[in-house]
Amino acid sequence: MKNDVLRIENLNKVFETPEGPVHAVRDVSLEVEGDEFFSLLGPSGCGKTTTLRMIAGLETVTSGTIEFKGRDLTRLPSAERNLGMVFQSYALFPHMTVFDNAAYGLRLRRVPASKVRERVMELLEALGLSGLHGRYPSDLSGGQQQRVSIARALAYDPDMFLLDEPLANLDAKLRVQMREEIRRIQKDLGVLAVYVTHDQEEAMSVSDRLGVFRLGRLMQVGVPQDIYRQPTSLFVADFIGKINFFPATITSQDASGGKVSLRSGQELVVGRFVPLDPAEREEFGIETRDVLAVRPEHVVMRPHDAEGANGPLGVVRRELFLGSIVRYFVDCEDATRTVVVESAQPPEGVHEGDRVRLTTRPEHALCFRG
Amino acid sequence: MDAPTPAPQTPAVRQRLEGRKPTRDWAPWVVGAITAVVLFLLLVYPIATTLLSSFVPQGEPLSLRNFSLVNFERFLTAPLYQRAFLNSVVVSLASTLIATLISLPAAYVMARVDIPLRNLIMSLSVIPLIAPPFIGAYSWVILLGRRGIITHYLDQWFGITMPSIIGPTGIILALSLSYFPFVFLIVQGALSAADPYIEESAGIMGASRWRILRTITFPLVLPSIFSGAMVVFVRALGNVGVPSVLGGDYYVLPTLILFQVEGYFNLNGAGAIAIVNVLLVMVFMFFVRRFTGRRRYVTLTSTTRGARKSTRLRDKVLGSAYVWLLLLVALLPQIFVIYSSFAERWAGTLFPTQYGLGNYRLVLRNVLQPIVNSLTLSGAATAMALAFGFITAYVSLRKRFSGRWLIDLTVMLPFVLPGIVTGVAYLTTFNSGWITLTGTGIILVFAYFVRRLAYAFRSISASIGQVDPALEEASTVAGATQGGTMRKVTIPLIAPGILAGGILVFSTLIGELSVTIMLFSGKWKTVSIAIFEYLTSYRTAPAAALGSIVIAATLLLVFLASRLLRRSMADLFR
Repeated sequence: MKNDVLRIENLNKVFETPEGPVHAVRDVSLEVEGDEFFSLLGPSGCGKTTTLRMIAGLETVTSGTIEFKGRDLTRLPSAERNLGMVFQSYALFPHMTVFDNAAYGLRLRRVPASKVRERVMELLEALGLSGLHGRYPSDLSGGQQQRVSIARALAYDPDMFLLDEPLANLDAKLRVQMREEIRRIQKDLGVLAVYVTHDQEEAMSVSDRLGVFRLGRLMQVGVPQDIYRQPTSLFVADFIGKINFFPATITSQDASGGKVSLRSGQELVVGRFVPLDPAEREEFGIETRDVLAVRPEHVVMRPHDAEGANGPLGVVRRELFLGSIVRYFVDCEDATRTVVVESAQPPEGVHEGDRVRLTTRPEHALCFRG
Repeated sequence: MDAPTPAPQTPAVRQRLEGRKPTRDWAPWVVGAITAVVLFLLLVYPIATTLLSSFVPQGEPLSLRNFSLVNFERFLTAPLYQRAFLNSVVVSLASTLIATLISLPAAYVMARVDIPLRNLIMSLSVIPLIAPPFIGAYSWVILLGRRGIITHYLDQWFGITMPSIIGPTGIILALSLSYFPFVFLIVQGALSAADPYIEESAGIMGASRWRILRTITFPLVLPSIFSGAMVVFVRALGNVGVPSVLGGDYYVLPTLILFQVEGYFNLNGAGAIAIVNVLLVMVFMFFVRRFTGRRRYVTLTSTTRGARKSTRLRDKVLGSAYVWLLLLVALLPQIFVIYSSFAERWAGTLFPTQYGLGNYRLVLRNVLQPIVNSLTLSGAATAMALAFGFITAYVSLRKRFSGRWLIDLTVMLPFVLPGIVTGVAYLTTFNSGWITLTGTGIILVFAYFVRRLAYAFRSISASIGQVDPALEEASTVAGATQGGTMRKVTIPLIAPGILAGGILVFSTLIGELSVTIMLFSGKWKTVSIAIFEYLTSYRTAPAAALGSIVIAATLLLVFLASRLLRRSMADLFR
């Protein structure tokens, strides 16, 4: 295991376009260490790919620094950074065989032919490509091309492994298989990986840590569980997984939690508080000072006339049986939009068209405080 | 960083942005410089010199004191000039109109009817473009002249007397049949690429086939029709070979230029005619642009599914009949060139009385030097065009380059300059003064280069455009230098495209006449000039033999290029 650190500080990228400058990456700072698998996640146009391309040296840095193993990479030509990169389109050289593609970086490093052969064959075998070394990329399936591009990127033992949406062109089943394989080989080689994706499930499942981007800014960095459980913004809460927002006003607060009052006057006990960015309140159309956020699997739903039922009132509009869980869409005046409820054990006596009451346990009630 | 920034910047960023020097890459500067030299030395300077000298009487030095409109006044006073102007307009418009009208049914049939032998038909359709028109022009005299073969039988069997082929009839016939593939290929391509769902949805709503054609299909391909027609018009207006062979005393602007230069060496007068010629091109382009400017349809290349082709027997029979008839008529000149190249004795009779290879032996004995010259000049010009095309295309596609307008202008300008005009401009400009090139091979190489650089640029741009930039980035990230990436990745991938483009440029230069005729010298006589001289001295059999060699060689080269690119011959010309 290498003890290397990739340190990015106040990274900015401004593209000069005919329509004027576009600020694609704003003040991004982060640190990735050792053999960590780090993902840059966000919707398209959020700056995640630009950030990766600056790490790769394929895009000039407008301001800020990129440092690796204590060495400043910011202005270093891409060719001198000793990186391995997998492109979304795989970018396999169509005029070279699988072997020549994989050997490309080794030959540039003037590795003796026998060593090149040994290393490439070993890697091709590890990636399940034995016997295909004489083929051309056009003869391979999408998944095989993907593996070849991984072999090419890792053959020369790069210091960093960069992946730009590598699974975007594969079908759903292969995607799941490949992401596991990418992680396995990355851990085997002990190489630091930076992975760009717009698929939050992919990022959550494969990463040690991830950074969520939005409009060029890095919104939150953390391990997947923390980002899911403790989002620091409405955007991250909404982008990672599903969530229900209830406009609310805090009525009391102490060390262990507090109480909020919803639009209908219903009161709920909340367990955790996070500061709310006023700009986000406007953006999500929230007219109250604070917001209550609850994940679908944490909403407890009971028939409105059940004994002891309390909490905001709603009407079940649709019930979807999805195998392992049942998902309900509930119209509720207290929420910003249709409330999603997911449950492994469907509550008894609740059907489409029924009136229900929604609650949650305090530790699952996250309050964004304005 | 003076431009207003839409998004707020933190002060720290702004400060560092200003303190940083942008990194410079040398390639755009080199390319900018080379392009500027080509543009100004080989285009702007000759055009300006020609323009200025056309305002000076014949033989007078360039000076404000000598300013005169005498060269242009002739268009108001001399009947020869007035007629040539009118004739040019008539001949070019008529050729364009006929070429367009005969192309449209063929293009429709090829795109919408399941015709047997489509690939053969498409390949044959480019032959009129490959074979220089003037080589085939004399065949029309043999066929339709006063004592021509077809004229004879029409008279004998039906008692029909044909109008004279010498004059506008012959010129229009030869030009429209030589240039119709420009319209045919582009319209056929557009029709084949048109989204079939649009027509199908019109059909589902109840429109008849004719109504779909009139209200949907035709309007959609109208821009393609116009761009094809524009090419035909520009070519027809600048063609000097065909009216020289078939014109007799019917002058058009290009032959009038030739007459002024060869007869009187009146470069000032020829310059004025050339300017009028260019103005005609620009007026025509202006109207076409105005008409098509508002019509831009993006639907034309949206689906991968091709249009459904009719398999009805009636459609197939009628369609095949029309297409084959058109091809037969269009290829008749080339067929007869080859046929008459084997005629050893053919005097005063309807058909030759003796066949043999004598003409080929004669030609190979007498015109070896012109053949070597043509290969040398075309080869040098092709190499220049490819080198220029590669560096400009590479920089304009792969680098940030603020001088794109330079490249665009350099590529666009030769298009409005008919060949004969380029010839006059070079003759006027490089005849004396600080760069004297008249009589050298270099002037021909420069002129050929300018005539074909747009083609080289476009075909290489297309090749580079097909290489995913990520391939080059992948090579860079793996550790290759810029030169290494170019050597190992970029050039191997675009080499077939460059080679094919080079073959096309080279093969079309072998038969180039309109520039050559102005600029050749005794020492630098080319194959096209040799053929032209045979033709104008009525030694048609050796002309046919040499013409056959040119047609066969260029056809072979184009065929090789199409194999190399694994594309059809028709695609190469689209």
